Amino acid sequence: MSASLRDSIPQIANPGNLDASVQEAFALMLGCECRRIAASRFNAEDSLIAVVGFGGILSGACVIRSSVPSAIRMTALITGMEITALDATVQDALGEICNVIAGSWKSRIPELAAHCALSVPAVIAGNEYWIRVHPPESKLHHMYQFDESTFEVMIVCEGLR
Amino acid sequence: MKQIRALIMDDSSVMRKIVERTLRQAGVELECVLEAANGHEGLDLLERHPVDLILSDVNMPSMDGLEFLRQLRGRNLAPQTPVVMITTEGSEEQVRQAVEAGAQGYIRKPFTVEQIKQRIVPLVSAG
Repeated sequence: MSASLRDSIPQIANPGNLDASVQEAFALMLGCECRRIAASRFNAEDSLIAVVGFGGILSGACVIRSSVPSAIRMTALITGMEITALDATVQDALGEICNVIAGSWKSRIPELAAHCALSVPAVIAGNEYWIRVHPPESKLHHMYQFDESTFEVMIVCEGLR
Repeated sequence: MKQIRALIMDDSSVMRKIVERTLRQAGVELECVLEAANGHEGLDLLERHPVDLILSDVNMPSMDGLEFLRQLRGRNLAPQTPVVMITTEGSEEQVRQAVEAGAQGYIRKPFTVEQIKQRIVPLVSAG
């Protein structure tokens, strides 16, 4: 019998699964608390976006968008190093955080854990850049805060089998 | 515990540093750490440098961790060296594939110091 995700849609759309994945990644990788805050307009200037694609039974992506200062703060926490400017280490760190959140999120949904693969992360730096999928089957779009910094995480499910 | 030489493979240099730091926090004495960004680089290093422990990501470009394991065992390179996969992918099927390919352990990212202690320290202490 082929696997179907249709019965798992409530779990995919459950915002608590994404919150738990983000909080776990920040607690274990960055050693800090992270909480969801009310969505507000994101200042898109000088932002960094990390994308990890989902393939297999679900096609879509986990996307993180962060300002450059927030990404630098994340990198400093994750590496324990003083980071002062956007460089390859910052891009690498944001990609790996996205990778871990994507993996943690899919592991919370049994059908996805077994039948969905992750791409390697891609990181894009630029202004006024965002990813849109029309029309997504399901989308979670949350804003989070750690220390005094904020960032966005989006789970987009473009197709379910 | 004796000092060991470790090979850490991950396409993320940040994650390689996290793994090294966590090994040290877990009490593993590292004599030297070799780093590779994919399976090709890992095999190339192992041709020239013996190690006591291999920690490998699964999802890497060029040559992934499972293919690395198959080639490692197929070439009989480092036959006594324990290999532990550290990855975001953690389904039963993926763990089964890794064990069949010759992995001694499997740790899901993000991991804790305690998980490293429990699953890796016994492997390097036994050597």
